[in-house]
Amino acid sequence: MPKAKVNGKEIEFEPGLTVLQVAELAGEEIPRFCYHERLSIAGNCRMCLVEVKPGPPKPQASCALPAADGQEILTASPMVKKAREGVMEFLLINHPLDCPICDQGGECDLQDEAMGYGRDDSRYQENKRAVEEKYLGPLIKTVMTRCIQCTRCVRFAAEIAGAPEMGMIGRGEDAEITSYLETALTSELTGNLADICPVGALTHKPWAFNYRPWELRKTDSVDVMDALGSAIRVDARGPEVMRILPRVNEDINEEWISDKTRYVVDGLLRQRLDRPYIRQGGKLVEATWGQAFAAIAGRLRAAKPERVGLIAGDLQDAESMKAALDLFRSLGVANIDCRQDGSALGAGPRESWLFNTTIAGLEQADAVLLVGANPRREGALVNARLRKQWLRGKLQLGVIGEVADLSFEYSYLGAGAASLERLIGSDDGFAKTLNAASAPIFIVGAGVLARSDSGALLNLLGRAAQTFKVVRDDWNGWNVLHTAASRVGGLDLGFVPGPGGLSAPEMVQAANAGELDVLFLLGADEIDTEKLGDAFVVYLGTHGDAGAHRADVILPGAAYTEKPGLYVNTEGRVQLANRAVFPKGEAREDWAILRALSEAAGKRLPYDSLEQLRSRLMAEHPTFGRIDYVPGPTKAAGFDLSALGAPGAATEEPFRSPVSDYYLTNPIARASVTLAECSAMFSRRAPAIAAE
Amino acid sequence: MLDKIFTWWNGATIGALLSIKGSSNFVGEDEFGNRYFEARTNRGSYDGRKRRYVLYNGYADASKVPPDWHGWLHYTFEEPPTVQPFKVKPWEKPHVPNLTGTPLAYRPKGSILRGGERARATGDYEAWKPE
Ligand code: SF4
Ligand code: FES
Repeated sequence: MPKAKVNGKEIEFEPGLTVLQVAELAGEEIPRFCYHERLSIAGNCRMCLVEVKPGPPKPQASCALPAADGQEILTASPMVKKAREGVMEFLLINHPLDCPICDQGGECDLQDEAMGYGRDDSRYQENKRAVEEKYLGPLIKTVMTRCIQCTRCVRFAAEIAGAPEMGMIGRGEDAEITSYLETALTSELTGNLADICPVGALTHKPWAFNYRPWELRKTDSVDVMDALGSAIRVDARGPEVMRILPRVNEDINEEWISDKTRYVVDGLLRQRLDRPYIRQGGKLVEATWGQAFAAIAGRLRAAKPERVGLIAGDLQDAESMKAALDLFRSLGVANIDCRQDGSALGAGPRESWLFNTTIAGLEQADAVLLVGANPRREGALVNARLRKQWLRGKLQLGVIGEVADLSFEYSYLGAGAASLERLIGSDDGFAKTLNAASAPIFIVGAGVLARSDSGALLNLLGRAAQTFKVVRDDWNGWNVLHTAASRVGGLDLGFVPGPGGLSAPEMVQAANAGELDVLFLLGADEIDTEKLGDAFVVYLGTHGDAGAHRADVILPGAAYTEKPGLYVNTEGRVQLANRAVFPKGEAREDWAILRALSEAAGKRLPYDSLEQLRSRLMAEHPTFGRIDYVPGPTKAAGFDLSALGAPGAATEEPFRSPVSDYYLTNPIARASVTLAECSAMFSRRAPAIAAE
Repeated sequence: MLDKIFTWWNGATIGALLSIKGSSNFVGEDEFGNRYFEARTNRGSYDGRKRRYVLYNGYADASKVPPDWHGWLHYTFEEPPTVQPFKVKPWEKPHVPNLTGTPLAYRPKGSILRGGERARATGDYEAWKPE
């Protein structure tokens, strides 16, 4: 391996690194504005100047200079310091000194570097330039006079988001960043623009002038807006979540998050259930916890177990599902389901409902077949990974399902089951690609699995996976892209109908037909709550959405930022979320509510603390004991594909993505004004009216 | 009348009334009904000026004296407003006595005494209400 000397310290490095990366290996920090690990190199800010020997006797931009064997790199010589000070002075010539009213103040790269390389006063007497604001949609606020033309945003939009709508026009003093047509960026990742902008030129519009970064209490947590479980940092001031930012997690979200994840924060403050309610004479009236528990316990005692149902929603943590499961099982209830959409998965080996290749594993793929999935809407960061691999030129994609702009090219193979059937039979075209692939991947959308003919479809998919050897001893390319954060956790817990039990859609039907007396909704809103007949409906949740409107008793629970919890993402990775703020009003953590209810119902749950509940959960379901672990595509266990689903004839209905409106998929998102605005702007179909 | 005998804060006490009326000339009355007097001689004055008095109309509160009479009382103006009226600028508001301690007292924005209305603060949330 080549060696270089950084400030006199010898260091070995992999060939192909740049001088900046080598200096970083040696522990030297190089100031930079335009360089970003995940973007292409631009080399236009010149802040990263270093002295390199041998070479011309002038400072060099380290981010764009390949390191060579025997190089001597000086990062702190007087020449380097002087050069950087010069760059800083030039940058500040046209930068407004408006830090006191700038939202980036306190977390601004330019501010920070100016501490080290700035002059104490300005020698510039002439007029500063000013740049007109640009419109970039409802999420990004621009103050373009602050822009230092690093072009990070342009590169992000073009490379990661796949929305090449941003660019730089003009030269020299007239250089401006613009979206050309002044239209909103069509991407689910626009929020990241504000993160990568090193100055305050691009900031978050919904949060403008709301906080200062140093006032915020930072809590590491996990996102529940989709099933990917992106790593997030929840920033709160006092009892209010002010913003959500990404954390680096190379395995899932790298350092990006999708807009829904980020801008859902105002949804956490609206439509909150903050006290128990009981329906009396057709009207919901405020009640105490004791009254609410007594009302539920009375009904549970009066009803036969066959006439009681339990449905878990999409945002539940594993602990609350476990507590509900234990309680209702001890009551002898078999009508238990965590699949509101009526998904067919849940029987068979665990691998059959996981995203086995893992999200990071997508970077090894060379052929991907998307079946009924629109990853852009169902998991924007899966889409970003696919695009990343596609940009490397190593990936070929095929789609069966909706035609959609996925930000990469793909061969369109048809709309429904017949096309899949045809693909199995053929041996040229995309079938040839799949056969030749060393790492073929199937990504199955949750929509395919939630239809009346899902059993047959699953069987057909299993056959296709067998034909193309998607699951082998050393490779598992079988992936289910879930949309609900709680789904894999629920399936891992066995939150599915017991012997003779009804599934979620069947429960709804039964309730409508008067065959169900009590229906317990654990945060479940995506069912047809209008059609629950005369059943006594209990809703435990956080927001006044569909479920709360129909409920006879409302138990106010904690949202995902308000409770510690375990979530299992679509890969089967168990992740620990932390509490950032406390639940609102009289609301409590979900597991504690269920524990208290169990006492009232006369079936005391055997745990008094979250720790006890967790240790029991981990003892009974060992997969939960390994936090943040997935085996990965080459080590994931194979399973019998032919046993998937049930043989039968699939209907001709085309595959459809289960997410018709990316911005409004759950009760919290539906309560958010920001996301409602985005939905009205971007989602072609009329926005779903948020339940009032 | 009993008020007058036993308290000193309801108008002037009887002693003050008698001595002021006995030694002073009536000068004028303001819009609040307070009456102003000036001593006939400078006898009893500690600085050689003729003493000036106000007899409050009702409750004795110095802030009831409007600025024009206040100026005269404190010898800022030689002539009383009855002789040389104050020039009122169009932007000047009518005089109001100090209202602190009364129900009309000023409550700053955000005070809970303002009838439950306050500006939004961190942590406020919108609770869901049925129907
Ligand atoms: S807007 Fe921000 S990210 Fe874009 S070029 Fe300007 S400074 Fe760089
Ligand atoms: S970081 Fe090297 S030129 Fe910008």
